[in-house]
Amino acid sequence: MSNLASLFRTKLLPHIVSGFGDMKVWLFKNYGTDPGKMLIHTGVAGWILSSAAQIIAIMTNDKVSKEQKMFMIPQEFADATVNIISFIAITQSVKYLSSKLVSCGKLLPKKVFDFLKNEGYGKAIGKFSFDIGKHVKMPKDIKANYNAFKDGIDVIATIAGSVVSCNIVTPILRNKYASYRQKENIAKLNKQNPNPNDNIRRTSLQTFMSNGSLKV
Amino acid sequence: MISSIKPYTFSIKSYCRKILHRAANRIPNAQISNQTALKSIKWIGEHVSSPQNRLILGASALLSQPFIDLNNKNVDKETRKNSAARTIAKIIVGTATGFYVRYYTIKAVEAMTKIPNNNRNLKWWETLLTPDRSRVAYKSLKKYKLAVGSIAAVGVMLFTNFLIDAPLTKILTNAIIDKINKKTNKKTQKDVIYYPQVHMSDLLSHRTEKEVGNV
Repeated sequence: MSNLASLFRTKLLPHIVSGFGDMKVWLFKNYGTDPGKMLIHTGVAGWILSSAAQIIAIMTNDKVSKEQKMFMIPQEFADATVNIISFIAITQSVKYLSSKLVSCGKLLPKKVFDFLKNEGYGKAIGKFSFDIGKHVKMPKDIKANYNAFKDGIDVIATIAGSVVSCNIVTPILRNKYASYRQKENIAKLNKQNPNPNDNIRRTSLQTFMSNGSLKV
Repeated sequence: MISSIKPYTFSIKSYCRKILHRAANRIPNAQISNQTALKSIKWIGEHVSSPQNRLILGASALLSQPFIDLNNKNVDKETRKNSAARTIAKIIVGTATGFYVRYYTIKAVEAMTKIPNNNRNLKWWETLLTPDRSRVAYKSLKKYKLAVGSIAAVGVMLFTNFLIDAPLTKILTNAIIDKINKKTNKKTQKDVIYYPQVHMSDLLSHRTEKEVGNV
């Protein structure tokens, strides 16, 4: 037992400690300098986890019948896919575009713009191939000014993109998809059961909610 | 499988970027000289993180999503009403728990990311998440704390989604639906049209409603 403990202390522990240190540095370099990227990645992870929670909640709900589960689990999965794709596509595009507008010089603080003009970059400013961060060597204060501006624009763009995708595009797409699936399901049940009133009741949202499967 | 999908996703990405480049080339150059605007942009970049992002998303969601649900003409009136109630409950509960979980996780990460100082004795956990000073520049430490806190919050939400969000959303949805139903019932009771029971014999004998006694 003591051998095992000493083996852990001498062999395994240094690896764990150095791995943990590397992970902190990786997080610092990846997200510490790009808050917009962190917002997108944590947003996507949040969507995935909340959808997974929904699917598990349906799977473990005893009040939901097997047939209903067969419909509701793929529906929830498709719903999550629509959410995540629209979130990534819109938020990432808005963030990329705004970030590019700043890095190529189309949108800049006047102080940085004047510096670039004085340094002879006048013709390059605004061209998409131009990247201020890569191509220009800036003094400390100008660089700090540029970086602070770029981070702020990144965050504003990420928030604007997520508001458009999560609060406008996704609910419209989700409603369209859900009503399409509802109609399809009713038609399917109508074929199996000639009494249409029973079928509508079975697939209505009220029944769905009373089963306790709620979106988080 | 991933390698077979990669060329397609890459071509979609490059195609999207080409469109974005074309659109962006038409945008004229702009410089911001207003100091208040520049200070606000800088402040947002430094201070607005995932908790504030969640609050903004929640507030704007309350202004848009219930109306989108109420105007969904593809479903019946009852479903529209229930769906809007569920959306409101989901937004309120999700935003409240999302904000507090992120806020307190970031606070916890801040407490564990202290800079080692010769003048102060720090406990082992106070520097647990502090990155190696020789490998990174500490000027971005604040953003690092926000990032690590937000990532840790995602892990915490794995539990709160089940333990807090789901049951609270269900309770609040039912409460909203009950309130709407009560209001609708009251309104329908008020709006009931009174039809006097006048028999054919009364009509034939030209007796009024008052005389019949049905008013």
